Amino acid sequence: MVNIIIDGRKIKAKEGSTILENAEELNIEIPTLCHHKELSPFSACRLCTVEVKTNGKWKMTTSCDTAVDQGMEIRTDSDKVREGRRLSAQLLYYKYPTTAVVRDIARKLGVEVSEDAKAESHDCILCGLCVRACREIVDAGALTFQDRGLGRDIDEPSIEFDPKLCIGCGSCAYVCPTGYVKMESFENKRIIWDKVFKMAACKVCGRYFAPQEQLEYIGKKTGVPLDKLYTCVNCR
Amino acid sequence: MDNVIFSSWNSKIVDNRKGKTSKASKLVDIAFPKPPEEEKPLALIGWNGLVVMDPDADIISLTMNYLKEARKLSCGECSVCRIGIDRLLDIFGKMAEGDGSGKDLSEVQQIIRGVSVNSKCNFGRSVLFPVLDAIKYYRSDFLALIKGEKKLEAKEYSYAVTAPCMEACPASLDIPGYIELIRNSRFEESLNLIREKCILPGVVGRVCPHPCEDACVRQDIDEPLSIRLLKRAVADYDLQEGGSPLTGSVEEKEKKVAIIGSGPAGLAAAYNLRLMGYKVTIFETLPRAGGMATVGIPDYRLPKDILNHEIDLIKRMGVEIKLNTKVEKLNLKDLQKRGYQAVFLAIGAHVGTKIGAEGEDKGYEGFVDGVEFLRDLNLGKKVKPQKKVVVVGGGNTALDCARSCVRIGFDDVGIIYRRSRAEMPASDEEIEEAEKEGVKFNYLMTPVKILEKDGKVTGVECIKMRLGVHDESGRRRPIPIKGSEFTMDTVMVLPAIGQRPDLPAMIGKDKVEVTDWGTIKADPVRFKTNIEGVFAGGDCVTGPAILIEAMDMGNKVARSIDYYLWGEVLKREISFEGVNTREQKEQGFIAEKAAEKVDLLDVDKRSEGFAEVESGYGVSEAMREAQRCLRCYRLMVWEKAG
Repeated sequence: MVNIIIDGRKIKAKEGSTILENAEELNIEIPTLCHHKELSPFSACRLCTVEVKTNGKWKMTTSCDTAVDQGMEIRTDSDKVREGRRLSAQLLYYKYPTTAVVRDIARKLGVEVSEDAKAESHDCILCGLCVRACREIVDAGALTFQDRGLGRDIDEPSIEFDPKLCIGCGSCAYVCPTGYVKMESFENKRIIWDKVFKMAACKVCGRYFAPQEQLEYIGKKTGVPLDKLYTCVNCR
Repeated sequence: MDNVIFSSWNSKIVDNRKGKTSKASKLVDIAFPKPPEEEKPLALIGWNGLVVMDPDADIISLTMNYLKEARKLSCGECSVCRIGIDRLLDIFGKMAEGDGSGKDLSEVQQIIRGVSVNSKCNFGRSVLFPVLDAIKYYRSDFLALIKGEKKLEAKEYSYAVTAPCMEACPASLDIPGYIELIRNSRFEESLNLIREKCILPGVVGRVCPHPCEDACVRQDIDEPLSIRLLKRAVADYDLQEGGSPLTGSVEEKEKKVAIIGSGPAGLAAAYNLRLMGYKVTIFETLPRAGGMATVGIPDYRLPKDILNHEIDLIKRMGVEIKLNTKVEKLNLKDLQKRGYQAVFLAIGAHVGTKIGAEGEDKGYEGFVDGVEFLRDLNLGKKVKPQKKVVVVGGGNTALDCARSCVRIGFDDVGIIYRRSRAEMPASDEEIEEAEKEGVKFNYLMTPVKILEKDGKVTGVECIKMRLGVHDESGRRRPIPIKGSEFTMDTVMVLPAIGQRPDLPAMIGKDKVEVTDWGTIKADPVRFKTNIEGVFAGGDCVTGPAILIEAMDMGNKVARSIDYYLWGEVLKREISFEGVNTREQKEQGFIAEKAAEKVDLLDVDKRSEGFAEVESGYGVSEAMREAQRCLRCYRLMVWEKAG
């Protein structure tokens, strides 16, 4: 355990825990868009910004990926923090003015949100939740950020989908905060990222319950015979 | 520069515009980047400020072009940098269209401050500051634009990108770029980016002493990125996946180029020239290709299959390598007669320097030149282990000799070095590993006489040294202590204090001009020798240098030969020499995170053979390590004279 001070409150924090985790335990509200507690931090939305005192000076950092350290002093609600968060939200709103989750958070952080436009689009805000869920939870790696290095000239970074690696589990759609990742389910098929998956029917009750490719993937990863996997959870 | 009208470089304001001289200095004594030789810049804007040389420079267009380039370099990962720059471009764009308002400039300032304090990486934290200088010191221009009194003109711009690690890298590899691709699990693209300037990624990823890491900004926080291991991870991953061919389409040309020497310089030049479409033949004296990479570096540091694979890829591009081709038979005129329009001498430095000890040239059994010892070993010669060996020298060749002897099974391996450990040119990792392996280091002594009986080495007479004042190498000069001579028993002595090129054997009758140090004279930009059509580069020009340095000269020579064959002259490129690329105004807070570690072979197992000592990163370790990169890209844009 290490001793830290958040907003003047002296607490003991677990070593290696993040500022955000400790703030949440103290019920200090910190806005986030790209964070999920089961996934590695990405610090992309810059909304969870706080101030940390270092060498006597207050410096900005993101709370989701900054681990606490013995004696760390943190401010989560200073003018600078509020202004930093507001600017991040303002920029997100400028870019995605009709995406509901962006409008909501912008309003909450003091950005003037025009009511003329409607929350009608489902833009990808590049939060990376889908990419991380696919890699870290599913371990499929079907989604990657398209990136630039020197001399490579991609106007907009985007997310690339590799249909060969996708098992149709839908984790990406589940974590997506804006509804950009769409999953459509029909009785015997599921469409995700434009790839069509055949659903497997339960051997016992006949209900379509999971994409075949997902069951095969689970079989391969866990060594459970496919035969067993073709029985849905309810009938096991 | 004496013609500077305005400069805010390094936060030092120089203002020579009429009526503006009161507070500012008139002179610029700060090094700022020098755009390429032939481009006379009117003004430049870079991460560290704005510099104006010509009153006609259009500061608004310059700023907007800077932002456009910045937008391309923003990785897009964090929203404030990506969207912030978009928003600024939008605001300036509206101003230019006559839709601007007085409030715009304060919004610009607000955004820049916000992006600078809240960006994820050092690029976002540093890139926008000079825009503040532009709108502060050239405010009237921006106001005139808003009022519609000024129109933007179409001008020509160029840009350059660097980073502290890129500046330190002899080949200026796009290090933040390939690390970014690793972080996004795009290993294939990362490899392609590395290969643009480094055709031996698996080799360099293993043996490079990584000057880039010494320049890494991250070390001020915890420790530098393991850049070398990241490069290796990308190459290893490719090999695991079956090994991808070198990409790039070749547009065939008729002209032929001969390269003498298949070391890193020769190979890099061959690859680049081949990519341009030239027919390339490499002539190699030894039975194996690779130069010092193959005969100078032992297997425990660089397994041969890694090097051979990378050479093989170059051969598959259509580069012909003629092995066992003694160069004394080749005469430059002869080569030209055979249709080679240009010749590149990349013969390396394969002859050991004399140590200045009595008896060293007597040919005693047991006295073997260090580079020769390594060459024989690497070409498969069996060396019988002896009771004792003394290696003379403190560089990587000396360490390679000593650590090889440990593996051959010598009972007692010692190094003698005339200065102290702090001055040793070998890398710290090498020294540490050698110490673990039982190599005995004897500092502050030098051999004065080789002792022998019946023509066989029996020992070495040494003299003790002390350190005097700093010499031109920046290290303290060793001074012999009179009367401190002593003897050391040994049956073998391996001198390894330096190397020079084997000129007489290689150049034959053609007189290529050489320096006092016995290296080939070549100009530093075009690498031309005194003979028309003959270029030189790599260790034979620089003396023994690190592998990537020789390799990069190969890259540059290829360009110069291309220019030459088109009848043009290559000009000096952009230079950031003397420019501080490390400092930046806004640092943010970065939590400590140590570098990912790799396993090293158990010390007990090392004496059993030449198995590779260091293992590399797997995919997830590489991706984690890549996350530590602070992405300190430094951008600069300049307006070219019309």
